[in-house]
Amino acid sequence: MATEQTSDEEARLTTLEQQQGLITQALVAALQGQWVGAPPSVEAFLYALNPTLQGTLNLDPPVVP
Amino acid sequence: MTDERLSVLEAQQGLQTDAIAQMLQGHWVGFPSLEADLGALSPGIQLEPHPPLLSSEAGPPTPPDYLKHFYPSTDMPQQVYSWTCSACALDWVLRATQVAPNHTREQAVEEIGYPENINPTYGLMDANGTALRAVYDLYAIPTFQAWLNFDQVWAAAGHTTGQISGGAWYHWVAIRGQSGSDIWIANSAPGYAGVYDTLSRDQFNRLGPFSCVLLVP
Repeated sequence: MATEQTSDEEARLTTLEQQQGLITQALVAALQGQWVGAPPSVEAFLYALNPTLQGTLNLDPPVVP
Repeated sequence: MTDERLSVLEAQQGLQTDAIAQMLQGHWVGFPSLEADLGALSPGIQLEPHPPLLSSEAGPPTPPDYLKHFYPSTDMPQQVYSWTCSACALDWVLRATQVAPNHTREQAVEEIGYPENINPTYGLMDANGTALRAVYDLYAIPTFQAWLNFDQVWAAAGHTTGQISGGAWYHWVAIRGQSGSDIWIANSAPGYAGVYDTLSRDQFNRLGPFSCVLLVP
């Protein structure tokens, strides 16, 4: 049985959808070996997911041949 | 969707974000790590991790071909003419890197462009080193030019070579490397302005600002 969603739940769902999209893009960047630097990189998508991480990480990405 | 289910999704999203942060920092196993986050996302999951080689474990990057055979002790004879210091430094870099081991200063003057780019009246015409960079291009050596401070040049001298010129020195020298806290230089006019084989911070600041044409390391 369908239930009516509150505006708060709608907002949380929208945020989750956006975050899910960013995680997917971060995984794509990882697969392509673009770990750090300007977008599209894992680092850039991570900061989009959580801007408070900027300047707090000690980066040590995998070596990309 | 219930509030409880949304909360679970938000918690999972937080773990996934943290998992990415852990990977980016080289924390693949242990705690905190990607492995720990996966354990929290899927309790009881059986993992056999094979973490990748990390940048911190890989050692220094392989230098480009033009820096693989760089001999910083390569001889730098004194310049014969007062206006050819930039050509002498250019010639030294090409010989010291073995890119053109039999290169001559006369060649350098011609390649820089006599008399439009270098001449007895002014020496090198453009302190930004555009004409010098064009010669390096001829030898397929990528360079960059910048006006750098002492610490920047000293740091660069640990990784690459090139040539630098002080605005108040009006003289080009090549970079051999580091000598303690000084910059080790190949100087075609030893003693000029009191500088011989090294450039100290005080000398650098007295003779600058420095235009630097450096090989991309």
